[in-house]
Amino acid sequence: MTASGTISKGLFRGFNLRQKTILLTSFISLLLIAIVASNFFIDNRSMSTDFESKNLAPSFDHPFGTDWMGRDMFIRTLGGLGLSIMIGAIASTISTILSIILGLLSSVGKIEDSFVSWLVDVFLSIPHLLLIILISIGLGGGATGVIMGVAFTHWTSLTRIVRAEIKQLKTQGYIQVSRNFGKSKWWIAVKHFMPHLIPQFILGTILMFPHAILHEASVTFLGFGLSPHEPAIGIILSESMRYLSAGYWWLAFFPGLSLLIVVLSFDMIGENLDKLMNPKKAHE
Amino acid sequence: MKRSLSLLLMGILIIGAVMISGCTDNNAGETDTEVTGADELTAAVGTHGGEPAAGFNPITGWGYNHEPLIQSTLFKKDSNADLINDLATGYTVSEDGLVWTVKIRDNVKFHDGVPLTAKDVAFTFNTAAGAAGDVDLSMLEKATAINEDTVEFKLNDNQATFIHKLSVIGIVPEHAYSEAYGQNPIGSGPYEFVQWDKGQQVILKANPDYYGQQPYFKKLTIVYMEADTAFAAAKSGQIDLAEIPSSYVDQKVKGMKVVSLDSVDARGISFPMQPNTGKKTKDGYVIGNNVTSDVAIRKALNIGIDRQALIDGALNGQGQEEFTGVDKAPWGNKEAIFKDGDLDEAKKILKDAGWVDTDGDGIVEKDGQKAEFTVLYTPSAQERQALAVSVSEEAKKIGINIKPEGASWDKIDTLAHSTPVVFGYGSLDPTDMYLKYYSKSYNPGSYNNIIMYNNSVVDQYLRKAITSTDQNIANENWQLAAWDGETGFSPKGDATWLWMATINYVYIVDEDIDMGTPKIQPHGADIFGNILEWKRM
Repeated sequence: MTASGTISKGLFRGFNLRQKTILLTSFISLLLIAIVASNFFIDNRSMSTDFESKNLAPSFDHPFGTDWMGRDMFIRTLGGLGLSIMIGAIASTISTILSIILGLLSSVGKIEDSFVSWLVDVFLSIPHLLLIILISIGLGGGATGVIMGVAFTHWTSLTRIVRAEIKQLKTQGYIQVSRNFGKSKWWIAVKHFMPHLIPQFILGTILMFPHAILHEASVTFLGFGLSPHEPAIGIILSESMRYLSAGYWWLAFFPGLSLLIVVLSFDMIGENLDKLMNPKKAHE
Repeated sequence: MKRSLSLLLMGILIIGAVMISGCTDNNAGETDTEVTGADELTAAVGTHGGEPAAGFNPITGWGYNHEPLIQSTLFKKDSNADLINDLATGYTVSEDGLVWTVKIRDNVKFHDGVPLTAKDVAFTFNTAAGAAGDVDLSMLEKATAINEDTVEFKLNDNQATFIHKLSVIGIVPEHAYSEAYGQNPIGSGPYEFVQWDKGQQVILKANPDYYGQQPYFKKLTIVYMEADTAFAAAKSGQIDLAEIPSSYVDQKVKGMKVVSLDSVDARGISFPMQPNTGKKTKDGYVIGNNVTSDVAIRKALNIGIDRQALIDGALNGQGQEEFTGVDKAPWGNKEAIFKDGDLDEAKKILKDAGWVDTDGDGIVEKDGQKAEFTVLYTPSAQERQALAVSVSEEAKKIGINIKPEGASWDKIDTLAHSTPVVFGYGSLDPTDMYLKYYSKSYNPGSYNNIIMYNNSVVDQYLRKAITSTDQNIANENWQLAAWDGETGFSPKGDATWLWMATINYVYIVDEDIDMGTPKIQPHGADIFGNILEWKRM
C-alpha cells in the first residue's frame, strides 16, 4: 500500500495507519475548533479601526498586515473564517436534516418517491449560486438569508445517497426475514436501517462543509448578504481587489490561503473519517 | 483524494485570479508611454455618478451639478461660484417675482448648423418641467418665446432661486429632439458629440463654431472605469487624468501629480425627527425613531463627535469639517459653527435629559429605551462606509451604540423614514436647503425633508429666503434658518442632521497639464467646469 508506505517513514513512526489517521484527524479538528473558539475571544476593540496604522505590510504586530481602515487582517480573517465555519455548520446540519426527512419520505411509497426525485431534479437543474442568491434575497438578506440560502441548496446529493441506500437495504434478505418474523417497521428502521445510514449522515454533513463554506464565500464576494464592513471571507477578498493596483497584496493572499486551508482541512477530516468508519475503504 | 484535488485547484484558481489581476497592473506601471496627442485628453472621471444611464440628455439630468460640455446653459458659475452670462445676455424679473424675461445671444448655432433661438430655450424648459427629471422645476408654469431672442418664464411661486435652474439645464434643439436624443446629442456647447461606446467611453471633439473661447484640448475622451482600474490605467500612461479614491492620495506615479480639490459636497447623517408611534407612510414604511427623535441624542452626537479625527482617519485627511451642510456657501451661517469633540459636554447633555447607563454595559438608557440605532450607508461609496464605521466607534465614547449597516438605495428607500442614513449633499444652489428643511418639501421619492422636520420659525425664514430677489436679504434669511440665536436646523438649534465633513475630490493628472483655477466642486464633482482654461504646458 503506497499510502502507508510513505506515512510510516515520516513523523509518526511507530504508529499504525489507523492511529496515524486518528491523530491527523484530531489535529486538524483541533485547528478548526481553535478558529471557531478564537471568535469568542475577539472583542470589539481589536476589530475596530485604527487609522494610525493603515495599509501596513505583514509584520510581527500584524501577521496578516492591516487594511485601508487600519483593521488587523489576522483578526479579521479569523473572524471571517469563524463566521464561515459557523454558517457552514448550521447550513450543513439543516441540509442533513432535510435530506434525512426527504430520504425517509421517499421510502414510504411510489408517489412520495417520485416526488422526492422530482424535487431533487428541480433543485439540481437551477445553477447552485443563482439559487443561493435568490433564496437569500427572498428571505430578506443578511446572515440568516445566506445561511438559509446555503442550507436549502445543499441537501440534494445526500438525499439521493440516502434514498439509494434505503432502496438497496429494502431488498436485502435479512430485512425480509426480519419482516417475516413479525418485527415492526419501526424496529426494522432502528435496528437495521440506522446503523447503515448514520455513517452516511456524519460523512455527508462533514463533506458538505467545504461546499457550504466556498458558497458562502462566493455569495459574500459578490456582495450579497452581509454588510461590507463585517468580516466575512468573501467580503475581505472582494475588498482586497480594489487595493491590488496599489500593491497591497497581503489583503488577498493571506485570507485566500486561510480559506483554502480550512476548506481542505474539512475535506481531509471527511476522507479520514470515511476510512475509520468504513474499514473496507481503508485499504483502497 | 480526487475531491481534495479539485477543491485545491478551485482555491488556487480563486487566489490566482485575484493575484494576477493585481500583478499585471503593477507590471504595466513600469512602462511609460504616451498614447494620446498633445491636444487630446483622455480622462476617467465621473466615477461617482458614473455613466449617465439615459445618455447625455439635460432633460433627464445630464449636466445637472456639472458642466454639460455638449450643451450650453443660459447662465453659468465662475470659479468664485458667482453667476455669469453664458447663452443669456441679461434678464429682468417682474415686481411680483412671477415673470422672468431672459434675452439670449443671437448668433449661436447648434452643432448641426441650425441657429439656436428662444423657441429652443422655451422647448427645453417646458419639456424638462414635464419630464420630472433630477431638476426640481415644480415652480415653472410655462416658458414662452416672445421673439427670436427673448424668452419669458411664468412661475407659479415667486422663488428667486429660479435663476439657479436657468444655470443647470443645457439647451436642446427642438428640431432634433426625440426620446433617443441622449444617445446622439446635439447642442451648442464647447464640445461636439462624436461617439459613445456604452459601458466604455464617450468621445467629444471641440466645436469650431463655439461662441466662447476655443478649448485647448481638441479631443476629449471620457472613459468609464472603476476608480482602482482608472488608477492602474493612469499608472500605465493610458489615460491623462483619473479620479482616484482618497486612500490613494499618497501614491507616487512618475510624470503625474495628485490634485486634491475642495468641495461643498458634505457628508451627513440624517436623523428621523418623529418618534415611532406605529405610523406608516402611504407605501407602508415605518415612520420615526424613538432614539433620534430625542434632541439630546442628536445634540450630544453633534458635540461629542470629533470631526477632524473623522477626516484624518476615514477620509485620509482629504476633507474639511462641516457643521451645517452649507458652511462654505455665502448662505452658510458662521454663528452656527462650534467646537466639537467635547465628550464631557456631550455626556452632560445626555445625563441632563435622563439618559443614564443603569445596567453597566456602556450604553445609556432612558425609560427602558437603549440609546442605539442603525446607520445605513451605500456600500459602493467607500467614504460613507468609513464615516459610518468611525462615527459608530466615536459614539461609543459617549454611550451611544450606532450599528453601521450597508444597504442598497432600494433598501434605504424603505427604511429612510425610521433609520438614519449617510447622505451626501453639495449644491451651489441654496434651494437644496429649502428642500431639505422646509416642512412642506417632504417628498420621499427624492429624499426631500426625509427626516420630516417641522419648525414653523425655520419655515418662515426659508420661505422668505427663497422668495427674496435681493441676494443679501435672501442669504441673511438662509443663515437665520440655520441658527437665529434661539432655534434653527443647525446643531445649536434642533440638530436635525449630523454633518461631518465635506470631501475633497482627488485626481491624478499628467504633470504638464495646467488646470487653471478649478471651480468649487459640487456633489459628484465638476472637474470639467473650467475645461476652457485647461492647457498643456
